[in-house]
Amino acid sequence: MPQVLSAKERSLFQTVVRNYEDKQYKKGIKAADQILKKNAKHGDTLAMKALIMNSQGKTEEAFALAKVALQCDMKSHVCWHVYGLLWRAVKNFEEAIKAYKFALRLEPESAQIQRDLALLQIQMRDYQGYIVSRKSMLQSRSHIRQNWTALAVAHHLNGELTEAEGVLTTYEETLKNPPSKTDFENSEAVMYKNSLIAEQGDYQKALDHLESAGKHNLDRLAILELRATYLTKLGKKEEATKAYRALIERNSEYKKYYDGLVEVMAIDAADHKALKAVYDEYAEKYPRNDAARRLPLDFLDGDDFRETADKYIHRMLDKGVPSTFANLKHLYSSSFKREALPSLVQQYISSGKSEANEEPKRNGDTSKGASSAYYFLAQHYSYYLSRDLDKALEYIEKAIDLEPQSVDFHMTKARIWKHYGNSHKASEIMEQARALDNRDRHINTKAAKYQLRNNENEAAIKTMGMFTRAETVGGPLADLHDMQCVWFLTEDGQSYARQGKVGLALKRFMSIYNIFDVWQEDQFDFHSFSLRKGQIRAYVDMIRWEDKLREHPFYTPNGTNGAADGDEDASERKKAAKKARKEAQKAEREALAKKNEPNKATKEGDNDPKKKDDDPDGAKLAATTEPMTDAMKFLTPLLQFSPNSIDAQIAGFEVYIRRKKYLLALRCLLAASALDKEHSKVHSQTIRFKLALDKDLATLPPKVAEIIKSEFTLLPESVSLTQFNNDYLSKHKDCARRTLSGLGARKLLDHDLAPSADADVVKVLKIDDVSMEVAIEGLELLQSWKNGELEAFRKAAAAKWPNATVFAASS
Amino acid sequence: MNNKAGHLRSAPIIERLTRPLAPQNLLSQQSIMDIRVLQPSDIPHVQHANITNLPENYFMKYYLYHALSWPQLSYVAVDVSRPKKSPYDYPRIVGYVLAKMEEDPPDGVQHGHITSLSVMRTHRRLGIAEKLMRQSQRAMVETFGAQYVSLHVRVSNNAALRLYRDTLGFKNEKVEAKYYADGEDAYSMKLDLGFIREQILDEQDESEEVDEGEPVGELGAQKDKASALNGQKDAAQGGKKMKVRVGRGLGVGDLVEKNESHKA
Repeated sequence: MPQVLSAKERSLFQTVVRNYEDKQYKKGIKAADQILKKNAKHGDTLAMKALIMNSQGKTEEAFALAKVALQCDMKSHVCWHVYGLLWRAVKNFEEAIKAYKFALRLEPESAQIQRDLALLQIQMRDYQGYIVSRKSMLQSRSHIRQNWTALAVAHHLNGELTEAEGVLTTYEETLKNPPSKTDFENSEAVMYKNSLIAEQGDYQKALDHLESAGKHNLDRLAILELRATYLTKLGKKEEATKAYRALIERNSEYKKYYDGLVEVMAIDAADHKALKAVYDEYAEKYPRNDAARRLPLDFLDGDDFRETADKYIHRMLDKGVPSTFANLKHLYSSSFKREALPSLVQQYISSGKSEANEEPKRNGDTSKGASSAYYFLAQHYSYYLSRDLDKALEYIEKAIDLEPQSVDFHMTKARIWKHYGNSHKASEIMEQARALDNRDRHINTKAAKYQLRNNENEAAIKTMGMFTRAETVGGPLADLHDMQCVWFLTEDGQSYARQGKVGLALKRFMSIYNIFDVWQEDQFDFHSFSLRKGQIRAYVDMIRWEDKLREHPFYTPNGTNGAADGDEDASERKKAAKKARKEAQKAEREALAKKNEPNKATKEGDNDPKKKDDDPDGAKLAATTEPMTDAMKFLTPLLQFSPNSIDAQIAGFEVYIRRKKYLLALRCLLAASALDKEHSKVHSQTIRFKLALDKDLATLPPKVAEIIKSEFTLLPESVSLTQFNNDYLSKHKDCARRTLSGLGARKLLDHDLAPSADADVVKVLKIDDVSMEVAIEGLELLQSWKNGELEAFRKAAAAKWPNATVFAASS
Repeated sequence: MNNKAGHLRSAPIIERLTRPLAPQNLLSQQSIMDIRVLQPSDIPHVQHANITNLPENYFMKYYLYHALSWPQLSYVAVDVSRPKKSPYDYPRIVGYVLAKMEEDPPDGVQHGHITSLSVMRTHRRLGIAEKLMRQSQRAMVETFGAQYVSLHVRVSNNAALRLYRDTLGFKNEKVEAKYYADGEDAYSMKLDLGFIREQILDEQDESEEVDEGEPVGELGAQKDKASALNGQKDAAQGGKKMKVRVGRGLGVGDLVEKNESHKA
């Protein structure tokens, strides 16, 4: 039986609760101890004490005590609620939900417990459970509109659109007077209801609702956009035309509106003249508009294209718009346009038009006109579809001659060197560009990025430090972590990976993984906040985005890198760990030496236990005994959220095949093959899979072996692996990357063929489409074979790419 | 949080209307510089643009706080012309304005505030910053009844000053000493939005007449001649020291819930 408190102790217990809420933890513990002195087994007090201890950071003790509390008083909702709060604090939401449910069973009237439970349910996307919770919350407080809206959202997210709409209607029917026009919550609720109607596909009803209930809605843009969409769906072309025109008048830089207009005007796609007239009208009307001038370039061809492009280019170069090339390069998929554009720019230069520039020049600004044209050509010859780096360099030098202080021009020069494969020179030039404008963070960012590409990690963080907050404890790197600077962490990690510093690389990738965790956790507060703010559509958008958060390209490279690095073979790993440990010891000694110098101030916060990183070099990470488990941590979300990324599937295969998880490896291989059957990696993985099976099939459980046999159909029957590989090689003899993959496979299949494979790798350099990236892969392949034609390959590659550092003779 | 597969349910594939275009839909598009409302899914790239361009940075939750409190006010300029690297390519943000309504305004007057505005260096001189600002200003009036909009700008940032003062018509209110973390002063600027209110009234009158009226024209078309404004180099501006701390150290959680501490 639970212990019963005296009146005095009951009031003391209230004090404990109050102390907890006021964050007076020491006082709270003291008061709790006072109660426990006489009633050592009072469950609620023990539980409150545990909760306070948890807030003090003593998580383990708190859990232990909370369990004791439960043993003392299994029927106390306080004990269960606290137990749930502890689980919630360590982010084990499933256990927390279970505990809250126990608590709620014991105390069904508690609004607090019900609310906490509901928040976790929606965070965990337990829609069924959330609906039950919201229904009960609505029953107990049906006078609050939020509770109705929340139930509608619950149904909506669970795919029950009609129910969701019904709940909103029921609430509306309880209103005696229509809410005022400026009632924001109502305005948004109307729009939310409208989106539910449209989602059910009843556009007529949606339109009617929009024109009645939504007539004076505060979200004007949404009204205009939805009207245009509904009218289009309903085939009311004339009205839809007007609706799209109204949208363009409001915002003339949104392609979607022009597309909508052209669609409802039912202009024949081949009638370029009529199409162009639509855009011309707006170009004329809005002298500063870009879209109406540029969009016709997408569909025009021949002389019409030339004429329009000429006008566009003229105007942009006169103004010195730095993004002129970026604005047009998507047209390069057409070879005609790819040739027409630079020739127009050449004409612009040779005709002397650039000198007759009508744009006013400010402070001797010469980045307009001719220099701008040279700049365009430099970018043109640097672009991968029209690359001629020597010419690119020539043009950028001309531009720089005219405008020696231009940051943009120097940036492009650095890029050209990057494309040459000379990361050192690229970094050097980008640093020059940075020095031209110390106060611009954009160029600072670029400089740091190029330093990382050149493996200058220390210099890069120093560069970044010019703009990070000086007060941040832990310096620039800590600030970049705080500010979730994903690009830096990615590039820094990739740089360390290139240098074989696995620990540091993993550490950076892990920190990105953690940032995504934070981003997922971030939504929690909005489950209640958004209902109060009444911004339901934005909230639903956020939920849906969060559902697929990890498909974001900021995650994907990290996932593949992390999986691959988590995947390094054990000896490499140990070596790296040892090296990292040594470096750490050295750093420690140096730090100690510094501390002992009394005159040198140590940075404030060095002693802050929270900020102290117990594994600054990632040595622990690298030394993990479970590399595959770590790799899985990255991989699982990758495969779940980006199944159509072939890189993800390829990375997945690598991890699974090493773990001898053949079924899972096969699943990745089949998925990759479905995405691109002829992909070079798919080919080599197919062969490796077969080789692995030949070795291990007998050891697999019969059922697994059977499934693999029936599903693994990538190899044609009755053809030997060697034959299969040779077929691939001859089929793709004009593709350097695939040839390389085939040669790699040949070596795997028959080591005795080694010399011929080696020599053939050198020949890859003669294939027309060989790129520097493929050549680097070839170099790495030969390096991994540790003999043969490595030097011959290097020399041949160096002759082909004389500026690339990677092929230069090692000094 | 623990993502147990059983608890994850993919959202039904619905047709997106005004809300975000799913990235898949963007694959077929070639549009270059769309100006449109910010969506939650844009936030990682907006955050990227911000930390690339400006010293005043915020973690994701602070962007979410804007996007979920005043979803009509923040706009982005989007470059979707790059060749797609994967089926999950998200549109790249080349410029953004992050805006809000002042909560509990000290002067009791409803007004908007520009938290942050920047355009990538590679995409300047296209008037993107101005276009973003005009869209945001209009929504401030329409949706939230803003009387004016305020912002802070570094006293040394001539390009931004030209945009705000000469192009958009902001007036200098006062200098706030040492407003920025690095010790620089800020101009506190204001723009009365009465002209937008009048514009809206005019439009309403027109649309109530027989529909013959000439279109009203690009927002602020009267400024068309001012091509000089196109030269803004960096429309940089960020939060006040105090505010930065809110964005950084405390997070929305503290603006939201009394007891829910949050880790940034």
